[in-house]
Amino acid sequence: MSNYIPTIGIEVHVELKTKTKIFSNSTNGYGQMANSLTNVIDLGYPGTLPTLNKEVINLAIKAATVLNCNIRKEMHFDRKNYFYPDNSKNYQITQARTPIGYDGYVEIDDDGIKKKIYIEEMHIEEDTCKSTHRQDKTLLDFNRAGVPLIEIVTKPCIKSAKEAKLYLEKLKELLFYTDVSDCKMEEGSMRADANVSLRKNESDPFGTKAEIKNIGSISNVGLSIEKEIARQSKIYDEGGSIEPQTRRYDDKIGDTVLMRVKETGNDYRYFPEPDIPFVIITDDMIDNVVKTIPMLPEERKEKYIEKGILEANAIKLIQNRQLSDFINDLLEEDINFKIASNLLLGDISAYLNKEDKKLNETTLNKERFIELVNLMSNNTLTSKNLKEILEKIMTSDDTIENIMKESGVQNITDDSMIKDVVKKVIEANKESVDDYKAGHDRAIKYLMGQVMKETKGSVNPKMAMDILIEELK
Amino acid sequence: MKYLNKNIEEIHELLKEKKIKPIDLVNEAFDNIESNKDLNAYITLNKEEAIKRAKELEDKEVDNILFGLPIALKDNIVTQGLKTTCGSHILENFIPLYDATIVDKINEKNMIIIGKTNMDEFAMGSSSRTSYFGAPKNPWNKNKICGGSSGGSAATIAARDLLFAIGSDTGGSIRQPASYTGIVGMKPTYGRISRYGLVAFASSLDQMGPMTKNVYENAILLNAISGHDEKDLTSANKDTEDFTRLIGKDVSGMKIAVPNYLMSDIVSEEIKDKIKETIKLLEDNNVTVDYIDVKYLENAMTLYQIIAMGEASSNLARFDGIRYGYSEENPKNIEDLYLETRGKGFGEEVKRRIMVGSYLLSGENAKTYYNKALSIRDDMRKEFKRVFDNYDLIIAPTTVTTAYDLTDPMDDPRKSFMDDILVIPVNMAGLPGLNVPVGFSKDHMPIGMQIIGNSFEEAKMYQLASFIEKKLNLELDPNGGEK
Amino acid sequence: MEEKLSREEILHVANLARIKLTEEEIEKYRVQLKKLLNDVEKINEVEGYDNDILIAPWESNTTLREDSEGSMLDPKAVVENAPRHSGNYISVPVVIGESEGA
Repeated sequence: MSNYIPTIGIEVHVELKTKTKIFSNSTNGYGQMANSLTNVIDLGYPGTLPTLNKEVINLAIKAATVLNCNIRKEMHFDRKNYFYPDNSKNYQITQARTPIGYDGYVEIDDDGIKKKIYIEEMHIEEDTCKSTHRQDKTLLDFNRAGVPLIEIVTKPCIKSAKEAKLYLEKLKELLFYTDVSDCKMEEGSMRADANVSLRKNESDPFGTKAEIKNIGSISNVGLSIEKEIARQSKIYDEGGSIEPQTRRYDDKIGDTVLMRVKETGNDYRYFPEPDIPFVIITDDMIDNVVKTIPMLPEERKEKYIEKGILEANAIKLIQNRQLSDFINDLLEEDINFKIASNLLLGDISAYLNKEDKKLNETTLNKERFIELVNLMSNNTLTSKNLKEILEKIMTSDDTIENIMKESGVQNITDDSMIKDVVKKVIEANKESVDDYKAGHDRAIKYLMGQVMKETKGSVNPKMAMDILIEELK
Repeated sequence: MKYLNKNIEEIHELLKEKKIKPIDLVNEAFDNIESNKDLNAYITLNKEEAIKRAKELEDKEVDNILFGLPIALKDNIVTQGLKTTCGSHILENFIPLYDATIVDKINEKNMIIIGKTNMDEFAMGSSSRTSYFGAPKNPWNKNKICGGSSGGSAATIAARDLLFAIGSDTGGSIRQPASYTGIVGMKPTYGRISRYGLVAFASSLDQMGPMTKNVYENAILLNAISGHDEKDLTSANKDTEDFTRLIGKDVSGMKIAVPNYLMSDIVSEEIKDKIKETIKLLEDNNVTVDYIDVKYLENAMTLYQIIAMGEASSNLARFDGIRYGYSEENPKNIEDLYLETRGKGFGEEVKRRIMVGSYLLSGENAKTYYNKALSIRDDMRKEFKRVFDNYDLIIAPTTVTTAYDLTDPMDDPRKSFMDDILVIPVNMAGLPGLNVPVGFSKDHMPIGMQIIGNSFEEAKMYQLASFIEKKLNLELDPNGGEK
Repeated sequence: MEEKLSREEILHVANLARIKLTEEEIEKYRVQLKKLLNDVEKINEVEGYDNDILIAPWESNTTLREDSEGSMLDPKAVVENAPRHSGNYISVPVVIGESEGA
């Protein structure tokens, strides 16, 4: 292992889930025909001016809140000037001096040890256009130009690849849960850069850092940081020195590769954007946004465990937003949550996956689900029978009880009928009956199994057991 | 029969009584422009469209005082489908895909856009000589400049081609040419008119405004083009008002300040004398006029250089030969495309200002120059506001000299700033400023006076300007009323 | 002797501004830019102002726009104005290296 202490800072760009772009009212969309989602503002036409999308400010306030940031009450924008063809005005409107959020943190759980990852600042800016490089030319599609972004910058307080991954997973969870972004790294709606440097001792100044740009997945962030630590360690071990540079992670070779050696201080010529007057964020605006923030994953998990859901299931539930929201709606109900969670994560999830459906695209609503859970808790419906009628449950509006009746999977609850079966089983298994009577408790389980076999599982097990014990007396 | 040398009320009556049609005015305007062709006031004429539009209007009711009247736009105001060059090679063949808000407003009034007027390249200059299309000439003396950057708009109004033109003013570009050509030019309060569709030179300073032969027509046009616009966040959220409402009202009792610096040695004696005569006239009519010191005025030019060139370097970065405009034919690579397109597409003055602006914002310079300029600018605005605590208006000369020769040297990069030294402070503070002619020099070139108001007090400025206009009753037609 | 900037200084600012200069222009701008920079130097002589800044003489704060969609351009119109294009794309000579931006 390395003899050096890594210092890692992460910058994340997240596309905001708005209908329109940040500075114009053209559509914020993905996967459409090239240059079909643009207007003269996105294209930087002469004479055009920016307007500012209210929803961008709301989502940024939301993000700042869940990242525990302070929110700036009066802010302006700045221009970052640089020539590049993906930048239609050759300047990007961003926030250099007055980021909307600052001094926040995200808490991660590293195998039971909680740690705060500190956020330096969070600012709003516009995305660039998408360029595709061909052999002889570069093609520009301005559909992405002006899509709203927030950039979240941590302090250099991350110590390992694992912490970096935990931070990103947590960040993604928070922003996804609050509907700030769909956080799809594969579509580029969430992009991460990592700054990595090494030093010998905690008391040493930070080493020279390398920046790994635009990493395409959380696992690759982990891998690229590990590789970068190894690369820098080797250089230091051999007595070399690190030069500031920009690298990228190459998935094919599984390592970071050099993009460019950083020019001494990029000259972005920042200055305050004169086209956008001060933006005032009032307490009312913040209150109205905070009201819309749903229960966050951490709290959900606690609540679920409180209700008797196994921790593993609780984690699985919060990873599936629709199921988690569904169960959140039931938290006030008096039902068996263990069974409820098993149902949702088991048979129901399997059905949804198979049918490629969302829960709200089925007929299973709150009331019918409660009925289902209760029928299973009191053993009226066995899991075996459930499998037979699940499709109907998910597609019909009828009560579960009616569906059971119609499908003939109603449990045999008729005493005399069960008695007949029990008698038949006792008759056919004299040996086990003797064992039971001799005090071998296990024998009754065998006999019970025979009863179930005989009835093809459609008997209420508790009832059958009671009758069996009675008959064996 | 000539109509466009009449006043607006007369023309309006004729239109209403169906004695003339919009097409008569349009034809006359094009005839005038043709006979004044040597003035080089226009870059593009909108002949076909204008005639078509005039014909369309024949079926419409004469619904407002501006109905059917021809208007000329400075060529940095974008017009959908009509070439907009900004006086530059880089936009020589540029056809915009949308109309500026001011164009929408002009169309709503059923006015007819006649053409796009000549100007300094990207409005950078004080004599319109940096235009890629050659300099316009002063109708009072064709060997002289008509000022700039709205030189073409000034020339066409002074020559009485038509009644209305729009200019833009970043550091005096409406008022200074208005002064040189003997017309009325108003730069309204920053935010009064939407800048959406005005090709930006310096966003925090730019403002469009009306250029007309008299005060009343100026106020009428401002009525039509001002107002809040959701497309421009810097446009002021103000109710519309009638800017003519104080015209003709008594000015006695007004308190007016004259900043000493604006009447100092930097101004020619001839102009100072003419201003003093006007001050005397005002005093004789019970107007109080005080000479006062106003801090930071002598710094305005420096602030302007830093802020205007800094913003311009960024605003003009978009002209890169990729999405529109002139582009280098066979660039070796992307860098080559930028360098060659911009090297060849921009003229000397523009390149100079972009380079200086880039320098002023780069690295530590942003702190040393730019941020400092923004701090002083704030104090300067406050200082102006203090003056308006005690005074209704400020008056001063508009220019330090009268229009000079077209052949005067252009190699001094400071010259264009020096020409505007008296008009720049107004833009720094976002205040409204207006030029009204007050007389002529010995060689019979017009002399103008600048009236500066507090924010949104354009009506009061028109009140004073129209009083002076009426009292002086100057002959302001360079042809003496004869064509 | 006339004050002027060095050749390197001119080339540096010309590159910042992405403007190619001819030899003749370089020599001319060495003198002219120096004159302008001497002018702006005067800002350091100004005294007595406070630290508040004026970005622009705005008369109102920003009014936020509702998040609802407006009309967009036909891709054909977008590419028609572009000097180089390929299908629905605007094109440029091949770009090497990544964006400096977002």
